[in-house]
Amino acid sequence: MLTMQTAAKRVPTFTNKTDAGEAPILMASRCRSHRIGTAEIHAHHGEIVQGVFYSSDGNLEHALVTLPCSLYRARARFRPVRSGPLTLEPAGRWRAKTAARLTLDALGRTGWGGSLQIESNVPIRWGCGSSTTDVLVTIRAVADAFNRVLEPEWIARISVAAETASDSLMYGPERTVLFAQRRGSLLLELGGPLPPMVVLGFNTEVDRGVETLSLPPIQYSSWEIEAFRAILGMLRRAIEHQDPWLVGRVATASSIITQRHRPKRFMPQLLRLSQEVGALGIQVAHSGTVAGFLFEPGNETIGRIQHAQAGLKSLGLDESCREFSTAP
Amino acid sequence: MNDPIIHADVVEAHALPRIVWLRSNLVVLAFSLMKLLPARFIIRKALENGELQPGALIAETTSGTFGLALAMVARLQGHPLTLVSDPAIDPPMQRRLEDLGATVHIVREPAATGGFQRARLDVLQRVLAENPGSFCPRQYSNPHNPESYGACAEHLAHAVGPVDCLVGTVGSGGSMSGISSYLRLLVPELTVIGVDTHGSVIFGQADAGAKRMLRGLGNSLVPPTVDHTAFDWVHWVTAAEAFRATRQLHQEHALFAGPTSGAAYLVADWWARENPDSLVAVIFPDEGYRYLDTVYNDSWLEQHGLRLETLPAAPEEWDCPHETGDCWSFYNWARRSHASSTLQPQPHSSPVAMQRTTGNREK
Repeated sequence: MLTMQTAAKRVPTFTNKTDAGEAPILMASRCRSHRIGTAEIHAHHGEIVQGVFYSSDGNLEHALVTLPCSLYRARARFRPVRSGPLTLEPAGRWRAKTAARLTLDALGRTGWGGSLQIESNVPIRWGCGSSTTDVLVTIRAVADAFNRVLEPEWIARISVAAETASDSLMYGPERTVLFAQRRGSLLLELGGPLPPMVVLGFNTEVDRGVETLSLPPIQYSSWEIEAFRAILGMLRRAIEHQDPWLVGRVATASSIITQRHRPKRFMPQLLRLSQEVGALGIQVAHSGTVAGFLFEPGNETIGRIQHAQAGLKSLGLDESCREFSTAP
Repeated sequence: MNDPIIHADVVEAHALPRIVWLRSNLVVLAFSLMKLLPARFIIRKALENGELQPGALIAETTSGTFGLALAMVARLQGHPLTLVSDPAIDPPMQRRLEDLGATVHIVREPAATGGFQRARLDVLQRVLAENPGSFCPRQYSNPHNPESYGACAEHLAHAVGPVDCLVGTVGSGGSMSGISSYLRLLVPELTVIGVDTHGSVIFGQADAGAKRMLRGLGNSLVPPTVDHTAFDWVHWVTAAEAFRATRQLHQEHALFAGPTSGAAYLVADWWARENPDSLVAVIFPDEGYRYLDTVYNDSWLEQHGLRLETLPAAPEEWDCPHETGDCWSFYNWARRSHASSTLQPQPHSSPVAMQRTTGNREK
């Protein structure tokens, strides 16, 4: 979500959208002005679903459905200079730096530099997309500096090139998409936002996390691969009918399969607690340490959340409890 | 994943069922040829893992709908196919298989011990041994048989959402074990009702062998593809009852299906009436064309003493699955394993949807 969109007209930036890996063809740009580009984006809280899914041509793809989370945000400011170094503050976020370079190249500004500042409160190594948000907010800020708004498909492509795995935050919370995170492409448009739900999120590891990008892809069993078909069928229905109850079932099912490969602490207790407190289900960061109980918004939500918090306290997981909503 | 408007081939076009409302709480999954799902998936997996090379021979012992499905898949993918059958094969089916390019090998003599089934397996072993690189799909023991029904579970979940009860017949057990394992991942409380026939050993009856008149469900062996722990209830339906129900389905709902569908319909319709708050899905595995001269022919039914005027209003509850009887019956199977289906009678229980929260089990 760009905070500055003052361009008088938005020209489509690229024409070639088909050949992955090729340098995008830049439309002849008449706009020579540049300015300080800014952007802001919110992070996510792991996924509703992550697994493998058949593409329309029958190939299996690793893909996910992200759970957007407005609690955590990243902001970027980019001041371009025609020739000079590319500096980054805070230093060390090399993926963001790579993304800035790739974006400058994609905009036909190879050789430009500038100063990029990132501010972020996204926790690192929790599976909330700290590195993706850095990358996305960088791409948007750099594009904004040249009065450009990039299509999500192009942002996805640059972001995958910059960090090898990604999530679907560039599509925004208005669209739920099944996103092939390793290829950076959309596998299926699910046709709407997630239904409004209240999420009670927490970190299952309290003080440590995982380096998500170093994790190899999960090798799912043949049974599990087909199980994701049923999960996807139910998820499509959940989005089409805006049914939070079904989203809870789908998220729980995906969490159960992931638990076999990347176990989270206390999962059996958390599954029981989810039922006891009347949650819709449990979602996890499939490559991260956060998890969340999903609740239907309503009169009973406050009581249920208090009940869940008490249960989390007995497991020693209450320190990191945060509440947020999927409603816009 | 998206339903394309134009299918790549006829197997793709027919593999998934049509979903039809029969009453306010009963939906039908009406397949043209359900076995296309396992045939397609088993071949796909065998090609993926190298068990089957492109163009290599496929051989199987079957004269039923799985053979037909294999013949269609093999034809489209360019695999020669040998099917080993016995004199009981119906001639139109044999003609159709041969028209699809399959070699149908009819075993004329039963083996000294083990009858035709043994003799067919012996011939199959010989064919496989004589043709290096040949592949046998083994529908009764291949775990890809139940797994192939993930596609059906996806279709049902998308179209109908969570159902409370799944009803279907059990032969290889692939469809019921497969679909229920996937649906229960999402809806653990799902009630699963298996439909078998008297004299089938799957759920503990003494084997009646070739005397079982209702074919396409039941078995003389317990196939490893049956996950007994999937089933909450088991019903046994006689041939005459299944045929009557098949006709009633056609006469009342214009749904032209085979006798296994009739057996499943009898049970599902009763359950749906008894449990009006429960949303029931029932599986109809094939269409009626194969049975025009038999199930759909009153004089054939008369001749074979299989013509029923009316159906029983309700089944009789059995205390154990080994009882002998000659009418529609059921038993509280309660998700037990086959090994634990001992002779101990189970307490009767009222046939209402049981709420359970048993975990999911991967096959």
